[in-house]
Amino acid sequence: MLRNFQDIREAAKKEGKKRIVLTPSGPDSGSEALFEAAKEGWIAPVFIRDVSSMDKALRAKGFSSHDFEIINEQNPRKCVMLALDMVRGKKADIVMQGAMEHQTFLDLVLDREKGLLQSRVASLVSVFDPPALDRLTMITDVYINNNPSITEKIAITENAIKLARILGIGSTKIAALSAIEQVNPAIPSTMDAAILAKMAERKQFGDVVIEGPLDMDCAVSAKAAARKGVRSSVTGKADIYLAPDVEAGYLMAQISVFVAVVPMAGVLMGTTHPVIIDLPITSGENRLVEIALAALLSGR
Amino acid sequence: MIRTFEEIDRIASEKGPKRLIVLAPEDEEFMLAVKQSWQRRYIEPVLIGSRDKIERLADQVAFDITPFEKIFESDRQGIANLAISMLFAGDVDMAGKGQIPTSFIYRSIIREESKIRKGTMVSVIGLWDIAGLGHLTAITDPGVNINPDYESKIEILKNAVFLFHLLGYPKPRISVLSGQREIGGNLESYSDFTKLRQAAHEGELGSCEVIEATSFAEIFLPGRKVFSRISDIDIGKTAFPEILLAPNLSTGNILTKLDLVIPGFRRRSVVMTSRGPVVIPARSDFHDSITGEIALGVVIADRVRKA
Repeated sequence: MLRNFQDIREAAKKEGKKRIVLTPSGPDSGSEALFEAAKEGWIAPVFIRDVSSMDKALRAKGFSSHDFEIINEQNPRKCVMLALDMVRGKKADIVMQGAMEHQTFLDLVLDREKGLLQSRVASLVSVFDPPALDRLTMITDVYINNNPSITEKIAITENAIKLARILGIGSTKIAALSAIEQVNPAIPSTMDAAILAKMAERKQFGDVVIEGPLDMDCAVSAKAAARKGVRSSVTGKADIYLAPDVEAGYLMAQISVFVAVVPMAGVLMGTTHPVIIDLPITSGENRLVEIALAALLSGR
Repeated sequence: MIRTFEEIDRIASEKGPKRLIVLAPEDEEFMLAVKQSWQRRYIEPVLIGSRDKIERLADQVAFDITPFEKIFESDRQGIANLAISMLFAGDVDMAGKGQIPTSFIYRSIIREESKIRKGTMVSVIGLWDIAGLGHLTAITDPGVNINPDYESKIEILKNAVFLFHLLGYPKPRISVLSGQREIGGNLESYSDFTKLRQAAHEGELGSCEVIEATSFAEIFLPGRKVFSRISDIDIGKTAFPEILLAPNLSTGNILTKLDLVIPGFRRRSVVMTSRGPVVIPARSDFHDSITGEIALGVVIADRVRKA
């Protein structure tokens, strides 16, 4: 079981060298992390961009254009399509968002026919390395789906469970969050959480315990939960927190990063091949962990 | 300007005791909080609820309740109606929820507000004392309105702004939080932000300012899209707002309770009415935190009357 970001980085190094195609390549924080991983020898970056401007950028990082594969293409959309072709053709393992606005990049990557979408929906899992715990925790979906339906929440749950398995978490404990811990038809997320909990009870997700609905105090504190009459193996020990909607998920992830100051790395799940999004809430230092997580996902 | 919970506790002991009507104090933790608040001279309790349960719980926590006014009533809605009507009539300074469904109390508040034609919307204000920040921060509404529309958000913010004025903040800064990202189209919460900013600018919310930031990233990284090291983040160096408006109930409730896991965070919550505060502890709260919420209520009750 991987218990912190250092474990993830070490495990990724044992996976063998992975080819990451940065597309369209540009001078952003992602490429900084790529260069670091390349220096450490476990990542082989491939750049798709205007070659004429590449030499200078590489020299600034202490490399030359001979050190990496560079594909000349100036049209940003074509850059992404080339990258998708490369991973499908096993010429690369991972796609990484470069200098392109998020909506266009994700529209291309998650296109049902020409993209890499595998699950019913893709979803983003924020993985946290809380200093006070000796294990990783996750929140999902924090980015992709505005108001997921119960069908989409099932897919989001399955996506997160898949990541938990890759991180070596055995019997995964999931808190399906809402505003209250009681099922209330006026609050649809309580109904969704109850459905997910019942599905887990019937082993529809495998070796997983889902408790829900749980409000936040019940989710994070077994003592507080007991005061409310909620007794579960999940309270106070959740590996994954399922957000009721993206407003809650995205803001939870943000408050964890900026206010609680907990290191965070994001992972896009639900695609045939790993895809790294240029998340604005990932610090430069943790971009390397995102690359490591993608390397662990590759081939699984 | 009150900046910390310690200041609230000090002022509560100076301005107390206030008459607190305690609705159904039929739980040990809650009765302990009433006892503790009385010992600290915050309150003079008026106990309303089931005779058997009140007397048994008082006995359990060794609290001699013989000097206090007691009203014996077992119907839950009857308890809420009577207690809240006493608050609005000025017979008591504040009310506190024990073992009674919160919705019953909200119903009674709405009824009393409509009687005096104030029509104040009921909303909960979760108040954080964040170590190193230098001011209190509210998150609202974590307790009542499931999916507030623009008009409801106006009322929710008016309640929070009113509270901050009472606490001595002449022009609180508000962040209208939204899950707006680079993808996913325009969320309603983001559209509301634009309108609320304009409403604040035109004075509709009272003296306050709706700031540009709609997320924690924008609060911490104004004008930037990247940051290198997480260890460089310092809340004390940001223009962290006094009021955070949550886009919906779930988000508000989840965020406000993160004090349980974020070091240096403490939380107290209150419901504002036009006649005084109603203390509504979470059912998971223990007596020390309930006592803290009562202290907050005492300070507000004192200042509401003066206002």
